[in-house]
Amino acid sequence: MHGVKRIRQSAQVLEAKRLREKAKLDDYLSLTQDVLSRKKSRDWSEEALQLTSRLLQVNPEFYTIWNYRRNIFLNGIFPRSSLEEINDLITKDLSSTMTALKAHPKVYWIWNHRRWCLENTPNGPGAPGEADADSWRKTNWDRELFVVEKLLDADPRNFHAWNYRRYVLASMPVPRSAKSELAYTCRKIEANISNFSAWHQRSKVLTSLGESSGSVPSQYLEEEFNLLRNAMYTDPSDQSVWIYHRWLMGAGK
Amino acid sequence: MTSISSSLQLAIPLHVSYIKALGDNKDDLTYHLTAHLRMNAVYWGLTALCIMGHKEALPREETVEFVMSCWDDEAGAFGAHPDHDAHLHSTLSAIQILLMQNALDRIDIHRVVKFILSLHQPSGVFAGDSFGETDTRFLYCAVSALSLLGQLHLLDSEAKERTVNYIVRCRNFDGGFGSVVGAESHAAQVFVCVAALAILDRLDAVDEETLGWWLCERQLPNGGLNGRPEKLEDVCYSFWVLSAMSILDKIPWIDVDKLIGFILSAQDLEGGGIADRPGDMADVFHTLFGVAGA
Repeated sequence: MHGVKRIRQSAQVLEAKRLREKAKLDDYLSLTQDVLSRKKSRDWSEEALQLTSRLLQVNPEFYTIWNYRRNIFLNGIFPRSSLEEINDLITKDLSSTMTALKAHPKVYWIWNHRRWCLENTPNGPGAPGEADADSWRKTNWDRELFVVEKLLDADPRNFHAWNYRRYVLASMPVPRSAKSELAYTCRKIEANISNFSAWHQRSKVLTSLGESSGSVPSQYLEEEFNLLRNAMYTDPSDQSVWIYHRWLMGAGK
Repeated sequence: MTSISSSLQLAIPLHVSYIKALGDNKDDLTYHLTAHLRMNAVYWGLTALCIMGHKEALPREETVEFVMSCWDDEAGAFGAHPDHDAHLHSTLSAIQILLMQNALDRIDIHRVVKFILSLHQPSGVFAGDSFGETDTRFLYCAVSALSLLGQLHLLDSEAKERTVNYIVRCRNFDGGFGSVVGAESHAAQVFVCVAALAILDRLDAVDEETLGWWLCERQLPNGGLNGRPEKLEDVCYSFWVLSAMSILDKIPWIDVDKLIGFILSAQDLEGGGIADRPGDMADVFHTLFGVAGA
């Protein structure tokens, strides 16, 4: 547990809290028992799916239930659904995980489920070769960059979101350019010089421009040093700037 | 210069009672909401007790039976709690607990090793379970688990090379390591990568000077350590950062007295346990990492 203030509570206060929570606790335990026993008996029904939704809303860290939910889709629901219905279900799960992420932006299991949804978006609606052969996937992937940007606006250091951003950029049917990513990191740095995550992303984009050499191409160095110089004047005590500078000096070799 | 730690001690008896009492919380909603961490929590509690010299505070039989009740027979490995799916992380914790309790003979080693090796990806990283989330944390879990079971040799030289190469690809401009290729350096990921390299006897893959510097820059004026630049200090980094520095033989690069002072000031001197920082609520995770650091 992180960032939870310690409060001294009297025995009476604790007892009152326990009584209030008892109803919630009983509900949670019986729901858990219901879902886990259905899982054991390989219940892949719509009803089971709804129960996993309820349970995951209360506890999105219950990884076993995410697993069960995906298995219900794969073993029960998808086999008897059309591609369009599958896409609808996937799109709905993308939407509900977005809601969950707003409340729990650092829960690995929610991010994992999003990836699964994207990777299981069916081809279509058109047949292979047709103009809209890939529209469902394109729509879902394009929306992801938007989702990740919203989460990075809320917390520019959320490494889950940055990792996800890199995953989306690498997987998008229509890739974005390195230049546009450099511009994005620049915006993040201008918003906050000490955003080490943005400096880190910059180091990756620049290195990728150097391809197999592993070093930053010389035509980008002057701009980098300018950016650094401004940052150093703005906040000379920020360590991001000095660590980045040390790297750049080495990369210039 | 007097050290801060002279005015505070590690309140061992208090922390021992705190850990003992953790299993009594069966009426607490939070206790049940964290069932997915239970195997890990038992490991954290037991390890802290061992460090403090009070292993007997958790009854051996009960602990071993709990671990065995988390066996997922379909997968051939351990979940976090009875009826929870097998996962590499809970499997490592299970092995660690059984090792500390001299009960490794209870494990079907053959099946567990099969589970671990099945998660090895072509890229060299390990997935956490069959759903495929990859992270250098799981790479460490796999390597550590195999090593503790005395089965590290089952990673042949090609597999070992692949694993090391993945870690190298996770190395960043600051000498640190991230969770996946491309990810930002984070002290916990630095620990898992450096520790895995140490177990695999490949510390040559570490840029010790650069990483040593990045690690010692984690220390803040209040003596505490953070996990990344510009983040808050947190007792758990006493373990992640300090262990990595210990492996790299660079502990003198930080102010140890100030760190100890910080950890001791995060103790809950009424209820017992240690928190992430002074004034916050204690939990078993931070109790272990605080005790280990101090």
